[in-house]
Amino acid sequence: MYISMNWIKDFVDLKGIDLEELINRFTLSTAEVEGIIKYGDKLENVITAKILSIENIPQSKKLRRVELDCGDRKENCLCGAPNIQVGDIVPFAPLGSKVEGMEIKTVKMAGETSSGMCLSERELGISDDYSGVMTLDPGTKLGVDIKEIFDIDDIIFEVDNKSLTNRPDLWGHYGIAREMAALTGRKLKKMPLADLEKYNDLKKVKIKVEDKDKCYRFSSIEVENVTEKKLEVNKRIRLYYCGMRSISLLVDLTNYIMLELGQPMHSYDKKLVDDVRVKSLDKAINFKTLDDTERKIEKGTLMICNKETPIAIAGVMGGANSEISDETNSLLLESANFDAYTIRKQALDIKLRTDASSHYEKSLDPEMTKTAIERYIKLLEENDKNIKIVSRLTDEYVKKYPEIVIDVDKDFINKRIGVEFTEKRIIEILESLEFKVEKKDGKLKVRVPSFRATKDVSMKADLVEEIARIYGYDNIVPETKSQPVEPVEVEDEKVIENTIKDIMALKYGFSEIHTYVWYDNKKNKKLNIEVNEDNLKISNGTNSNFNTLRESLIPSLIYNLEKNIKYYEDVKLFEIARTWEYPRKGKDCIEYKKLGAIIYSKSKTSKQLIDEGLKVVHSIVNLNKNVKIEMKEITSNSYSWINPINSAAIVCDNVEIGYISDLNLNIKDAIAKKSNIAVIEIDIEKLNSIKKVNRMFKEVSKYQPVDIDISVIVNKNTKYAFLEECIKKAKAKNIDTYRVIDIFEDKHKLEDKKSITIRFTLLSNDHTLSGEEINNDLTKLIETFEENNCIIKK
Amino acid sequence: MEENLKKIKEKVESQIIKIENLDGLDRIRSEVLGKKGELTQILKNLKNYSEEERPIVGKRVNELRKSIIEKMENKKEELKKEELMIKMKNQEKIDFSFPVDENLGSLHPITIVQREVEDLFRTMGFHVEDGNEVETEYNNFEAVNVPKYHPARDMQDTFWLENGQLLKTQTSAAQNKIMRKYGAPVKAIFPGRCFRNEDLDASHENTFFQLEGMMIDEDVSIANLIYFMKTTLSEIFKKDLKVRLRPGFFPFVEPGFELDVSCMYCGGKGCKVCKHGGWIELCPCGMIHPRVLEMGGIDTEKYSGFAFGLGLSRLAMMKYGIDDLRVLNSGDLRNLKQIGIQ
Repeated sequence: MYISMNWIKDFVDLKGIDLEELINRFTLSTAEVEGIIKYGDKLENVITAKILSIENIPQSKKLRRVELDCGDRKENCLCGAPNIQVGDIVPFAPLGSKVEGMEIKTVKMAGETSSGMCLSERELGISDDYSGVMTLDPGTKLGVDIKEIFDIDDIIFEVDNKSLTNRPDLWGHYGIAREMAALTGRKLKKMPLADLEKYNDLKKVKIKVEDKDKCYRFSSIEVENVTEKKLEVNKRIRLYYCGMRSISLLVDLTNYIMLELGQPMHSYDKKLVDDVRVKSLDKAINFKTLDDTERKIEKGTLMICNKETPIAIAGVMGGANSEISDETNSLLLESANFDAYTIRKQALDIKLRTDASSHYEKSLDPEMTKTAIERYIKLLEENDKNIKIVSRLTDEYVKKYPEIVIDVDKDFINKRIGVEFTEKRIIEILESLEFKVEKKDGKLKVRVPSFRATKDVSMKADLVEEIARIYGYDNIVPETKSQPVEPVEVEDEKVIENTIKDIMALKYGFSEIHTYVWYDNKKNKKLNIEVNEDNLKISNGTNSNFNTLRESLIPSLIYNLEKNIKYYEDVKLFEIARTWEYPRKGKDCIEYKKLGAIIYSKSKTSKQLIDEGLKVVHSIVNLNKNVKIEMKEITSNSYSWINPINSAAIVCDNVEIGYISDLNLNIKDAIAKKSNIAVIEIDIEKLNSIKKVNRMFKEVSKYQPVDIDISVIVNKNTKYAFLEECIKKAKAKNIDTYRVIDIFEDKHKLEDKKSITIRFTLLSNDHTLSGEEINNDLTKLIETFEENNCIIKK
Repeated sequence: MEENLKKIKEKVESQIIKIENLDGLDRIRSEVLGKKGELTQILKNLKNYSEEERPIVGKRVNELRKSIIEKMENKKEELKKEELMIKMKNQEKIDFSFPVDENLGSLHPITIVQREVEDLFRTMGFHVEDGNEVETEYNNFEAVNVPKYHPARDMQDTFWLENGQLLKTQTSAAQNKIMRKYGAPVKAIFPGRCFRNEDLDASHENTFFQLEGMMIDEDVSIANLIYFMKTTLSEIFKKDLKVRLRPGFFPFVEPGFELDVSCMYCGGKGCKVCKHGGWIELCPCGMIHPRVLEMGGIDTEKYSGFAFGLGLSRLAMMKYGIDDLRVLNSGDLRNLKQIGIQ
């Protein structure tokens, strides 16, 4: 919103005050100022002059030579404007003056020289109108600086609308002036209003508010015999500087009041409206708004109607059917107050947010509607002496906000701010903002003014803000708060996450990335990734390609891998992030936190990648939980990216915490045929829920260990886990540790079998093992292997 | 006799000089000093000498033996040195300037910044909490004083989900849960991923990271908030910063502020980063709205508190001089690998 300092000065005397500093103070105490624009500084030494004669010139059809009386001297220049006439008084820029920041110099046009320029409103910088040279009042003195006649010099500042969301009182200049008065300790002047009491004998405007929940107040008056068409120049300049286009006197004045008081108004052509009803639509209709757009209006929308015919969308925009036109000479004025939510909702529904609706949705003070009419008539009378008021000020006040009184004491305010104010100072600040304060039983009874009482100020915390901000936050001395010191527990899940990230990045060379939480449907198709398309969807996204939330991190990692393989031989990516499942339609979804990792290599084999992945998995589980991991068949997931042959579930304590898999070839080939890719996904919450085993110290045996090697010949597909089971079953007493020392495969000698050599270390804690004991264990092992169809190589 | 010894001495000494390796030295040792060596033989035949001569001969032989051993030891040292020299010369020369593969991956810039900030707050006794990303409308809006059709909902374009839940638009969505979990007094921060339904450009992302914090205790004041924010922000930026508060409207605080810090790049003199104003808008904050405290089950007469939000994405960008927000979610290792692990 743009604020004109000239306008502010109508209501508060700012003599002797540095305006830019005041605007800065406003930022610090009231609302953010986004920028300051100085109008008029591109225009210098333009004067008033009367056209004495106009002559055509031989070489141009358009240009004419104009002679001007500048009061003390005569000047002449070329002018191409079609509208000039002898006797007109116009703004004239003589040699050496400045227009739009450029100095006026002698120029040659159509073989003639021109020393000066007659100016349009746009060249003066006061409107967009460049249809012709601006003509001034016939009585205007000649040779006078144009800035003495019009308020061209002004400082305009732009307030960030967002920072006014909670301040309905600041949506007009008068409210801003009130703040500035409080900030400078000056007095706020009363706004000049028309006395409408004298028309109380006239007839009422016919108004009926039918929907009393949505319309709080409807004030109106009727005026006839409007003869003027244009708003006076100085007021038009203000509208222009504040971002409004001038339309016609009657419409401009409604805008003027909205900018001045914050009250949106609407003027109807009185000939077209004689029976106003405010009601909600009982069925959807098509309605043409005054911007000439046909709109579909839903059932339930609050409308202003003339009898049964809708003539305006309440609080949003008027209709084309009752619009003020060039011929209009009588009007019916609307100054109403509506329920903020209603207006906001219907503006959003119709997708038509207007100045009026953005005012109304802030919860405007209904007290203003009457004032706005008194002000409108005052300004209309000033602009057009001939008008005739033909009705009394008619006022349907349906719903009044209750008066808000807040009890507060000095101590509460001082404690919450951290400053020792006297009661006197507190009262002074509140009264400068038009709060009424009464001392009672050591407490302050604070009455909130109506323009702050619609939602903005309702409790003690609000008064704390008023006092602190007017006092100035900069003046508050920072102060520490002493608190007892207590140890803070570090959350397990955070520790695990941090450890995992460190292992991945520091030990195994993975890079952490952040991905989006939705699938990329096009990518899925391109890369043969099949996902559950019924997973939870975004209902109002703008891009339907990204509307499904992910159930797994792997697709996200695949998309990002694909971007990187152009640049790297090997890529390792990971992320810890959320995924969702949506098992019951319409109910809350289930959120998971998972670790996802992907390993890609142009040169390594699948086996090497899986081996690397397994190391990662073991490190993560061991570092955090120190429990044994089992690799089993996947039972819980059937994701399309899992390779059914080469994949395994990661199982700890009988809980499946995730899986590791070679990427399904169908997807892998779509990414890069000649490379290999492996993926890991682990549920962090499941990992966290596993009970941690604490390591205990075990004394090293003093006795001699004995190593025995056994080579077992098994089928190629037999898993190592099977051999481990055999070893367990053998129950050999003295096995301390065992490990694989060799795997041998040979097509000719072993055909479809392989030989695995395991080295067993036998050891006792309390004696040296005897030959018999060693033999016993060896026999047990061999027998068990043989019982399970393994061949022992002698 | 004397002559015999002299001969041996001369012979052996000349042999020692000529020897070129340790093996040769061993050979001489056995020829002269070994069991069958010349000097040993003389001692063995000592009985052939007279009673008077024997001690003299014995002494002379031993003297010679000592001197030979000494000479041999010296030679041995010499040869060893030579051998080492040769070995040294023949070593493979290693190029120390060759590039190294550290096999280090990289942490995401946000992770690094988030850890720094979390560690700082832990030292000050704050809990570090973790909220959900899909939230209920109640937690994201209602519980932080933003009822339906409140204009403040406009400030945040929301991704709504088909089941009526939403992708959380602000970390404040966790406020209510944390108040209910700990009660008062409480100090907690809650970093997290947030979402806004808007188009991407250099300064707008639909997915970004925030960190929110709150401190609730008896009679926490605005003066406390200013002190706290000044101290922590100075610590985060490792610079003594000036802070200033401006009124700002956020429905869950009353009063609400925008907190500006003196520009850390120019020290407040005005530069490109601070748009020549000397101040950088950094963090929204305020005294927690009494209604929000009430909804969290906290007695508003006794307790008050403040809350603040920090843009982690923004902090990461400032820390590493990243000027396009989209880099953070690009997944492009050419960008992310630069940051590395700290």
